[in-house]
Amino acid sequence: MGRVTQTIIRKKRVLPAAGEVFVKKGEQVSPTTIVAKGKVRNPYIQGIRIDLKLGVDAASVKPYLLKKVGDEMKKDEVIALRRSFFGRTKICRAPIDGSVEAFLPLSGQILIRGAPIPIEVNAHIPGKVVEVIPEEGAVVEAKAKSVEGVFGIGGETHGKIMLTVERPDEALMEAAIEEEHRDKIVVGGSTVTLEALRRAREVGAKAVIVGGVDEKDLTTFLGYELGFGITGSEALGMTLILTEGFGPSPMNEEIFDLLRSFQGKLACVDGTTQIRARMLRPEIIIPLS
Amino acid sequence: MGEKEEDKIIIAEIGAAKTKAILIKAKEGSFILEAEAEAPTTVEPPELDVTKGINTVVRRLEKESGETLWGDKGPKVKLFCSSGDTGGLYMVVAGIISMISKESAERAALGAGAHLLDAFSKDDKRPAYTLVEAMRSTRPDIFLLAGGTDGGAVSQVLELATIIAKSDIKPRFGEGYKLPVIFAGNVEARKEVSETLSEDKYATTTVPNVRPDIDRENLGPAKEAIYDSYMEHVIVHAPGYDKLAHMVKGQIIPSQAAIGKALYSYAQNRGINLLAVDVGSSTTDVYSVYNGVFNRSLNADVGLTYGILNVFKTAGVDAVSRWLPYELNEREVRNIAANLMVLEPEKLTPEEEEVRNAVAREAIKLSVELHKRIASRLKGIVIRREIADTFSQNIEETYVDMAKTQAIIARGRAFEGPEETSALILLDALEPVGITQIMYDLESLVPHAGLLLDYDKDAAIKLLSERILKPAGTFVCPRGKTDSEGALTIRLKRSAGSLVSEVVPSGEIKAISLGVEETAELEAIPSGRLDLGRGRGKTVKSIVTGGSLGLVIDARGRPLPPPKRDQQQKWLLALAAAKGGA
Repeated sequence: MGRVTQTIIRKKRVLPAAGEVFVKKGEQVSPTTIVAKGKVRNPYIQGIRIDLKLGVDAASVKPYLLKKVGDEMKKDEVIALRRSFFGRTKICRAPIDGSVEAFLPLSGQILIRGAPIPIEVNAHIPGKVVEVIPEEGAVVEAKAKSVEGVFGIGGETHGKIMLTVERPDEALMEAAIEEEHRDKIVVGGSTVTLEALRRAREVGAKAVIVGGVDEKDLTTFLGYELGFGITGSEALGMTLILTEGFGPSPMNEEIFDLLRSFQGKLACVDGTTQIRARMLRPEIIIPLS
Repeated sequence: MGEKEEDKIIIAEIGAAKTKAILIKAKEGSFILEAEAEAPTTVEPPELDVTKGINTVVRRLEKESGETLWGDKGPKVKLFCSSGDTGGLYMVVAGIISMISKESAERAALGAGAHLLDAFSKDDKRPAYTLVEAMRSTRPDIFLLAGGTDGGAVSQVLELATIIAKSDIKPRFGEGYKLPVIFAGNVEARKEVSETLSEDKYATTTVPNVRPDIDRENLGPAKEAIYDSYMEHVIVHAPGYDKLAHMVKGQIIPSQAAIGKALYSYAQNRGINLLAVDVGSSTTDVYSVYNGVFNRSLNADVGLTYGILNVFKTAGVDAVSRWLPYELNEREVRNIAANLMVLEPEKLTPEEEEVRNAVAREAIKLSVELHKRIASRLKGIVIRREIADTFSQNIEETYVDMAKTQAIIARGRAFEGPEETSALILLDALEPVGITQIMYDLESLVPHAGLLLDYDKDAAIKLLSERILKPAGTFVCPRGKTDSEGALTIRLKRSAGSLVSEVVPSGEIKAISLGVEETAELEAIPSGRLDLGRGRGKTVKSIVTGGSLGLVIDARGRPLPPPKRDQQQKWLLALAAAKGGA
């Protein structure tokens, strides 16, 4: 079940690949402060059969290539060209922005990797930069209350805490969610109904924190079966954190009282869960200063 | 005469959470199990040194046995080790044709105890240009490349090697070492494959072909090369394993490989066909030995906690719920299962136990179906079918045949409950036919026996037979259905001389007392439409051994009729009726 701790939190905020760091040691940052920006390798690869485009054998393609492995290209740029004896020219154009990943001579193919994708990492929590990691990011420190949940979906977000129920054993119903919950971290009690989840997303709530949810409702909300307990990358536009587990279950009173006492204050939450690999549980961070 | 240190052996299995060790001692020309102990595995922080857990468990063995086993530099006696999840072996394989060389490579990797991350082939359904990224994203410990019979295709093998080279696959334990690639394909492509896989990225070794001819498979050399690479390149990167490698005698092998070795030798020693299921938290392993051919498959998607929702995803909620002894609505079932995944409770409520047992049945069914594909005759061979073969199973695709399975062995958390519950899970999921012995590895010691095999095969088999495998009993299960009374007549002559005669009605389960070490002459006479594996109505005579549940006749028919909720308790009571010689 979920648990509360008060601690000095140090968050390592780094890019997955080398980039530029925009903060300095000792600097005060907010959750939205950009710590670092960079570009990551594009996972998209497209293959083109050059032999078919030029009308030659696969083994004869190489002399007609205008690009070699590693060369960059723009969409529609000519990347292979064959002038025939009778003046008719056959060309092959780049289908996307990217670079040549590989040439496969046996199949007359080149593989083009999409152009690198820009990414940035923010501070996620307000605090002080206590360490700068060159080309990667920084470590942000803050005094905070921290709650470890049991399961979550959706990634990092932040907003002001807003309770929708009076008691930890009360269910969060659709009718309790209104426009005023936009950009808020909505706190329910024992469970949240499917309709309430949909309504929370519709009004633009940043996150919902409750004791439990019916697994069937969550499956319907997600649109697919959960499978393994690895979450965090769901593009739902909202984060959900369960403090107790699946099914209606009154929220731990300590957690409920903490969230109630910090109503209107900032909470930085992350639904990312990895049950097995790294035993990563969702977290709610309430900064104290 | 004093005992020598050579007379004592410690065997340890390093699991994800626990390290379990046994001390065996030479006695009267054989080895006996002297003590056993457990300690937390210490690969994860804060310890980050596997030898600390080994030290603790050996100290506990010392306390248990009164022996001095640990000296200044480590164990004073021989130490054998296998490694489970933490130091597990993660592999990727590739072959030219998915049903031929790729399948042989899969069998070699799985047989060596690997967790298969992905398998590639030239006829892969994925577009060729996605293979590079797919390969790169795998991060295996070892890559096994097969393809081409000896003297056969070269260019396609080279194309696969080129894709591997371009993919620049990084090993799981970081970029500080080269990924071991084992080439076990066309012998004539060895030189070019080695040249294609550049030395600065890959540590390439070549071994004899896993498929030298279309109708012959040769997995031994590839498996040995996998063990060598595992020891040399992989396991030493897990915290403390470099130290441990100097303490152990021989190689540290994956626990799944040790289990496979033990089960294979056990089946060979008894001259039987065997099917074993290991239902774990996140995966379900199935091992089989049919006509001397060993196979292992791993269903990495289904298990009882971490993989539990995948069972629902694959089999469906209704398939799981049908095994529950009472009505639970879909929401309750799903919530219980999801909580087993996220909360991983140590002690289960009765409802959680029922859901887990229902999931176990479907996890076994799914995994055995997968196993049938692995444990199959070699594909690519032209078989001439004669008229006489039309109804014959001689040329069935898979070796798995429950009517030819003399023993079922079960291990894993699903079988930690009462013996009758475990037996019912297996009867429902596997539907054995004929005369089958069911045994459990309740103390998780089969890998230990597998580690002892290379040192003293007789002692390992003796340990398995007399100490490790706990017999639930012999199960007599007719195939077919009959409405007539008196489906099966049983005559049992115990070794002590007493006679038992029973008529078991169709659709019932009946247990007859027969102790663990007791044997008896069995004569089973099925009524006309039932078949005990020798044909309809054919009498079967056999020497059978007992077990905790005795001799059990499961006359519910095969295939099993759909389960009825009110019958579950009845079957459990029937199975337990002669429990412990009652």
